[in-house]
Amino acid sequence: MKLKIGNLHVKDVLFGEQDSFEKGILTINKEAALSYLRECDDHITELDLIIARPGDDTRIVPVIETIEPRCRMDGRTLFPGVTDSVVPAGDGELKALKGLCVTAVGKRYGSFGDGVIDMGGEGAKHTYWSKLINICMVGDTDEEFERHEQQKCNHALRWAGHRLAEYLGKIAFDVQPDDYEEYEFDPLLKRSESRAKLPNVALVMQPQSQMEALGYNDLLYGWDMNKYLPTFVSPTEVLDGAIISGSFMPSSSKWSTYEMQNFPIIKELFAEDGKTINFVGVIMSMLNVALEQKERAAIMVRNIALNLGVDYAIVTEEGYGNPDTDYVRCQVILEDAKIPVVGISNECTGRDGMSQPLVTLDEKLTALVSTGNVSQLIELPACKTVIGSLEAMNRDGMSGSWGYDEVLGKSARDDGSIIMEDNNWFCGDHISGFSVKTIKEY
Amino acid sequence: MKRVICYINQFFGGIGGEEKADQEPFITQGCVGSSAAINAALKDAQVTHTIVCGDNFMGSHTQEAVSCIIEMLKDKQADFFIAGPAFQAGRYGVACGNICKAVSQQLNIPAVTSMNVENPGVEMFKKDVIIFKGGNGAAKMREDVRIMTDYVNKILAGGKSEGALEEGYFVRGCRHEYFLEDKRENTAAYRGVQMLINKIYGRPFTTELPIPKKEIVPIAPPVADLSKANIALVTTGGIVPVDNPDRIQSASATRWGKYDISNMQRLEGGVFKTIHAGFDPAAANADPNVIVPVDAMRAYEKEGVIGKLHNYFYSTVGTGTTEAEARRMAEEILPFLKEDNVTAIIMGST
Repeated sequence: MKLKIGNLHVKDVLFGEQDSFEKGILTINKEAALSYLRECDDHITELDLIIARPGDDTRIVPVIETIEPRCRMDGRTLFPGVTDSVVPAGDGELKALKGLCVTAVGKRYGSFGDGVIDMGGEGAKHTYWSKLINICMVGDTDEEFERHEQQKCNHALRWAGHRLAEYLGKIAFDVQPDDYEEYEFDPLLKRSESRAKLPNVALVMQPQSQMEALGYNDLLYGWDMNKYLPTFVSPTEVLDGAIISGSFMPSSSKWSTYEMQNFPIIKELFAEDGKTINFVGVIMSMLNVALEQKERAAIMVRNIALNLGVDYAIVTEEGYGNPDTDYVRCQVILEDAKIPVVGISNECTGRDGMSQPLVTLDEKLTALVSTGNVSQLIELPACKTVIGSLEAMNRDGMSGSWGYDEVLGKSARDDGSIIMEDNNWFCGDHISGFSVKTIKEY
Repeated sequence: MKRVICYINQFFGGIGGEEKADQEPFITQGCVGSSAAINAALKDAQVTHTIVCGDNFMGSHTQEAVSCIIEMLKDKQADFFIAGPAFQAGRYGVACGNICKAVSQQLNIPAVTSMNVENPGVEMFKKDVIIFKGGNGAAKMREDVRIMTDYVNKILAGGKSEGALEEGYFVRGCRHEYFLEDKRENTAAYRGVQMLINKIYGRPFTTELPIPKKEIVPIAPPVADLSKANIALVTTGGIVPVDNPDRIQSASATRWGKYDISNMQRLEGGVFKTIHAGFDPAAANADPNVIVPVDAMRAYEKEGVIGKLHNYFYSTVGTGTTEAEARRMAEEILPFLKEDNVTAIIMGST
C-alpha cells in the first residue's frame, strides 16, 4: 500500500464570506459550515466555531476530540464506517491541512475522557495542541440520556468534528501542496532481497476498548474495538483514518484521532524502514478488561508476530491502570517468544511520586519509554478567555479534576485559576509519540 | 541566615570510641567535631546546634533516643537537618537514617544524610530519606560534605532538586515527570524507535523505567520422610517472650530472637506476645499458637506424623522490613538450624 499525503501548511485561519485557501490562509464561511453540520445531525442544538491560536491567553475545556482536516483525492471518505460507508483505507492520495486541528469542545458539559488545552502561558507546554491553530467547534446536543453521566459517548459532537475535518479539508482540494509525505508499505510476501537481511519489526498498538457498553471505544472501520480480536493492519491504514479515537479513558492517556492520523511512532518506524529495520506493519490489538480477554489478545498478538516472522516489536497502550496489565502481558509474552520489545507508555506514580509506576511490573521489561505521570499535580493562573466551560472541571467527573477537596478546594476556582492532575490535559502524555516528557528519579 | 542542626555519633563528636557508644543524646550550641566541616561548607546558613548520640544507644533504645532528640529540636527553629556522613559505619548509618526519617516526618524539617553504598542504612532508609552517595571512610569527609551541602545550600536558597542522579543521592523510588527540550530527537516516538534499534544491534540503551529486581525463592522439595523429620518453626509475626529480651523492633526490624520451647506443649498468652505493629495483636496475644503453632506441632509429634519439633523457634517482625535485612537475618539464623540438624522449617507469616 502506498499513501501519499500532500501537506498544505496553514499560516492562519479566518472567517469570511467564501471558503478559500490562499497563500496559507484558510478562510471559512462559518455559517455555511455550521449549517452543514447541523443538517448532518439533528441532535446538535447549539454549535459555534471559535479560533484559538498558539500563544493566546486561552483555556479550552472540556475538549472531546482533535482531528486533522484532510480530504481524499479519490473522493473516498476520510473515516470509513464513521463519516460514511465502510471503504478501504491505507492507499491513495490525501491532502492535509497542517498546523491546525479541529477541536471538538462541549459548550457546557464534559465527561470522564475530556480534557484541557491551554494555548498560552505555562500550561501551553503540557499539550501538543498548543502548537497548532485550534478550530474549536463548540456545541451542545439533545443527548439527554447522558447529560449527567460521567461516561458520555459524545456521539453528536465527535461525529460533527470528523465531518468538519473532512469539510475543511475539501476547501483545499484543488490547491497545490507545499510538500509531500509518502508512506510505502510493500506486500510482506513480495519484499525485495535487500530487506531480507534487516530485522523484522512490528508495532503492536493497544487502542482503548475497555467499555463493555458500545459507543465509547475506539472504532476500527467503524467497528467497536471491545467486540474485536487482534489483527494485522498496514501502518498506512492507521495514518489514513481507518481508526478513530473514543470517549473513554482519563484524558492525558488517550490517543486522539489527530494522533492516529499522524501516529508519531509509525512515522519514526517508517524513517528507519529499509535502513536499519524492515518495518513489517502493525498488529492492532485492544485493551479489554476481563483477564481471559487480555490473555486471548496477548496470545493472538504473539501468534501473529511469530507467523509473520517478526523479530522485534514496539508495544504501546492507549491508557494506564487496568490497561497496564495488557501492556505488560503483551511485552512478556513476546519476550518469551524470543521477540525483544520496547514499550512506550506513561506512568502513574502518585502525587508524591512514590507509587508503583505501572499496576504490574515484570523484570522482562528491560526497555521502556515513559511519557508522563498522570498524577502530577498542576496549578495554573486564570486565562483571559475560556472556550467551553470551566465549571465542567468541577461538576462532570473529568478524570483529573474535582468539585471538592478538603485541602485543595475545587479544581476550577471562581477567579479562573485551576488546580488539577496531569490526567486532565487533553491527550497530554501523548503516548502516541509526541511527548517530550519523561520520568526521572527525584 | 538559615539555621542548620547536625547529628553525629560519639566518635565524630569527639567523645570517644566503642566505650562511649552507649552515650545518651545531648545537644550543644554550634559545632562539635565533624559538624564544623559542614558549617564551613554552608552558604548563608550556619550550624546552630549539634546533637551527639552513641551508636549503641540509638541502636538499642531507638524510640527513646528519637523522641528525646525530637524534643530537643522542637524549639530550635531549624531550617535543615543534616546527619552524618556515616560512610560505611553500619550502626551510625542506621542511626542517621532513623533520626532523619523521624525529623522529616514528625517535624517537617528537611533532612539529609550521606552513606556508602555498602552501609545497611542505605537499603533500610533510602525510600524515606535523601541519602547522598558517600565514600567508604572518613578520608572522604570533605568530598561527602561538599556533595551534601551543595544540595542543602541550593534548597535553602529556594532551589529545587534536579533529580537523584544529578544531585548524587540514592534513588528512592520517587518518580516525577520532566520536560525535555522540544525537538524531534526528544519525542517519545524517536526515543522508543532508537531504543529498539539499540536493543536490536546490541548497543547500550537506558530504560526510562527500571524494573526493581524481584528475588524469587524456589519452592523447597517435599520432605522425604516426615516421620523422621526435625521441624523448626520460624516466624515474621513478632512472637516473643513478654519482656522482648532481644528488643526486636515492632517495624522495620533488624533483630531476631531464638526461644527455647523444649519444655512447652503450647505457647501461653501472658508468657509470649506479639510485638508486630502491622496487625491487630489481640488474637495473637490471647493465643500465640495462632502464629507459632507449637500446640499443633506437638500433636503431630505425638501422632508420629513428624519426628520431632525443634527445641527452639526463631522470630522477627516482617512489617516494613527490607529484603536486604530479611536476607541478612536469615543468613544469621541458618547456621543454628543446620547445626541442630533441622530437616525443614515452617515459615509462618502474618
